Amino acid sequence: MKKVITGDHAVAIGAKLCRVEVVPAFPITPQTLIIEHIADFVSDGDLDAKFLTMESEHSVMSAAAGASAAGARVFTATSSQGLAFMHEMLYATAPLRLPVVMANASRTLGGPPGIWCEYNDSMGARDSGWLQLYVEDNQEALDMVIQSFRIAEDKRVLLPVMPCLDGFVLTHTVEPVDIPEQEEVDSFLLPYEPDIILDPKRPAMIGTFMPSEYIMELRRQTAGAFESAKEVIRQINSEFAQKFGRDYGGLIDTYMMEDAHTALITMGTVTSTSREVVDELRRKGEKVGLIKLRFFRPFPSNELKKAVSHISALGVFDRSISYHGGGPVYNEVRSALYGMTMPVINHLAGIGGRDVTKEQIMKMFELTQKAGKGEKVNDISWHNTRGETN
Amino acid sequence: MAAQTLAEAAVSEGNYAVAFPYFGAERRGAPVLAFTRIDSKKIFSKTQVYAPDCVVVLDDSLLDTIDVVAGLKPKGMAIINSREKPEDIDLGKIIDTATVNATSIALEILKAPITNTAILGAFAKATGIIKIESLEESIKRKFGEKLGAKVGERNALAAWTAYERTITGKSRGVKKLEARKQWLPTHQEIPVGGCLIEGKTDAGLIGPGSFIENKVSGWATYRPLRDKAKCTMCLLCWFYCPEGTIVRISDRGDLMTNYDYCKGCGVCANECPVDAIKMVRARI
Amino acid sequence: MITIKELSDDNLFTAGHTACPGCGVAMSIRNAIRVLGKDTVVYVPASCAVVFGTTFPYGAWKVPFFHTAFENTGACLSGMQAAFEKKGKKVTVVGFAGDGGTYDIGLQSMSGAAERNDDVLYICLDNEAYMNTGIQRSGGTPFGAWTTTTPVGNVVQGNRRFKKNLGDIVAAHEIPYYATLSIGQPLDFIRKVEKAKNMRGFRFLHMFTPCIPGWKMDPAKTVEVTKRAVQSGMWTLYEIENGDKRITYKPGKMKSVKDYLMMQGRFRHMSEEDIKKLQMWVCKKWNLHYKEKGAPDVCEILPPVEHHAVTEEHREMHGP
Repeated sequence: MKKVITGDHAVAIGAKLCRVEVVPAFPITPQTLIIEHIADFVSDGDLDAKFLTMESEHSVMSAAAGASAAGARVFTATSSQGLAFMHEMLYATAPLRLPVVMANASRTLGGPPGIWCEYNDSMGARDSGWLQLYVEDNQEALDMVIQSFRIAEDKRVLLPVMPCLDGFVLTHTVEPVDIPEQEEVDSFLLPYEPDIILDPKRPAMIGTFMPSEYIMELRRQTAGAFESAKEVIRQINSEFAQKFGRDYGGLIDTYMMEDAHTALITMGTVTSTSREVVDELRRKGEKVGLIKLRFFRPFPSNELKKAVSHISALGVFDRSISYHGGGPVYNEVRSALYGMTMPVINHLAGIGGRDVTKEQIMKMFELTQKAGKGEKVNDISWHNTRGETN
Repeated sequence: MAAQTLAEAAVSEGNYAVAFPYFGAERRGAPVLAFTRIDSKKIFSKTQVYAPDCVVVLDDSLLDTIDVVAGLKPKGMAIINSREKPEDIDLGKIIDTATVNATSIALEILKAPITNTAILGAFAKATGIIKIESLEESIKRKFGEKLGAKVGERNALAAWTAYERTITGKSRGVKKLEARKQWLPTHQEIPVGGCLIEGKTDAGLIGPGSFIENKVSGWATYRPLRDKAKCTMCLLCWFYCPEGTIVRISDRGDLMTNYDYCKGCGVCANECPVDAIKMVRARI
Repeated sequence: MITIKELSDDNLFTAGHTACPGCGVAMSIRNAIRVLGKDTVVYVPASCAVVFGTTFPYGAWKVPFFHTAFENTGACLSGMQAAFEKKGKKVTVVGFAGDGGTYDIGLQSMSGAAERNDDVLYICLDNEAYMNTGIQRSGGTPFGAWTTTTPVGNVVQGNRRFKKNLGDIVAAHEIPYYATLSIGQPLDFIRKVEKAKNMRGFRFLHMFTPCIPGWKMDPAKTVEVTKRAVQSGMWTLYEIENGDKRITYKPGKMKSVKDYLMMQGRFRHMSEEDIKKLQMWVCKKWNLHYKEKGAPDVCEILPPVEHHAVTEEHREMHGP
């Protein structure tokens, strides 16, 4: 069934289709629509879940951890300052291997305060042990909530997952979304059955004080789960494609890369706009391609290496700044491509929700192409930023 | 505190010294580890000490469970708080050993079984690494600053008394002490997320309820003796015991104290309404 | 009502835990869990009780145990309870938080759970300072007390604020049950835990739990000190059930607060003037809780009573 809905609505429907059991919630723009829709589902009897109106995001993630440890499938959503406020609890849920799924509506993390899209909220949580993925449209937002639960609850992974959708650009934008049938989702995602939970019939200790004799092995184990997650993500992507007819490519997606000379790595909705830019440039005969970085954690180093093995220059889009100079994605990509000699340059744009236009994306390709030809360009370019010359 | 005071005394003699505790998870009265390094030049090493020149043992009950001289250098020395003479102490190898009854000294002078200043006096006497006078100064300063001049002086007196009563000699080397087994899983073996249910390993129980593997009798300076004839079975001691070391037996008609888990707090004796429980020294 | 004799022999918080000798928290936990029984799930926020109750791979709890952070007892309990309710499981969801974790950093989370009236039992183990980090002042620290962050200096001596009135704060949430407990009154203690266990909605048990190193006292006196706290009015035993307040234990004639203070090193430095201030605070509390209608206010300064040590061994052990 097709419906014209917002990204937030799509996420809420995704959660409902997953038959989530506990939803602790706290409002924050631009995520609030998600929890409002879920509250409606529960109040109308369309979703049999415990909906908890918490008094802060820290408590949201605390309740989520408690409910997950007690064996429930848990969903919630947050954004920006809310994600920052629950930061401590992100670090508690992941190593305890509690497979919570939480949508993050990407939004600038103040100060100064703003409500529009930027990735500095989720990037700050990149080492918390959560899987992170970024979607480009409302359909993918819904589909990835479903896939997220499959990935999170897979025994080889057992880690929390954070699907991120661009604030306002998706959260408050309507577009057609194909809503899967409940039976189809039920056969794709079985009920959550964890091995160890808080159960008086078989008492467990979850979250014990842990001396240094053990904690390093535990970290190593969690790191191993991130490695395993890569294969799980690919498998689940294929299975989903088979069942629902939508293939997202797994950890990354590529567009027009087969014979490309120059490529741009993008995330989120800028990918979507970039597809049209690539089409335009291709019509002019320019051999450009696009790589959509879907998962930022685990980071798909091998996929990226393979995807860019034949090109002469690579541009990396970043929607937040890491104060080493460029953005965090740039940092990771450079590190992944260590040993390759092609120029890799960084394009900072869209920060604080500034609109990323086709002209800016054209400029990103143009600068990257120049670098590919050996012309001198800045390693890091701030696009559409007053006082900056690229 | 002993390790730090020793370091201060060493520094006051123109040396460089570093002292640090190993922060374990246990609370007051539990066995703890602390290290002191002394050198004539700056010490850069920030790791724990694995092969000491001298090992100081504040509680000789540890000798039954821990091979305290396992890492000791061949010509190293052991200093032990004990009523025994060195030749009556079996360390599993024959090494230079000094003993002093620091507990008695502490009870006598400080009116509490806090032995760390007394044992330092023994250290000064046995090793000669620092002078007792420097130690006295640093004890007075350190304890005086924190707890008042009187406490400082009493602690210095404890150190002096121990200095005078220290006996040096050689330990016996008969017993074979097996290192306590510890469960050390690999990252593949450690349960997912560190979440534990009841289980058993080569090293004993793990998971819920497994703290019974941890015998804490070594913490106790005193232990309760119950006079059965006086006892009315009111169960207040059973109720109040924070350890759960008093258990009901004989169809709940009698009580038994499992001293493996008694830390010697004395609450049972204090609360007994008919004075049927007395606290006695745990080790004679 | 359960008497001491009828209490279960099950050690649901086993021996071998690593609490200090004479720990009031361990004593209270052991007896609370004895009454609560096996079908209990426990959350413990950052505190001594996490460390002495579990150290990987060991644990004293024989009921399910969960811990994540410091400030989130209320929220974690709510989440656990929601999951059990959804799954149709009947368990008592209990949190054991300290005074720091309740009066201060965890107040918001506790308030949220209380206001939602979530069906959980919140137990505050009040030892009147942050003991796990080594005795720092909390909102529950009494007036005059030494802590490492309210030291006894040349200019300022000890804590200058009176203990926060947590009872009124909790009761203001209009929850089904709030009660104060002291281990020194076993039957009252058992009755309140049992009552809380059998009620539904948000229940709060406020336990007075001496800390030996934090209060600088003789470990044998853990219970005795709670009794003197009650006799002096420093700690009052009452319950508020659906808005109705009831005194559950009224001591006889009020004893001097000095009787209570002199047992503990943390108060030893207090000046006569400060003791008087504290005594006045206690008198106000006493009048509020215990005064009969029409009776005159109690506000006199009472002389301390002579106490004697129990045994010779004790004198040897702990000094005169």
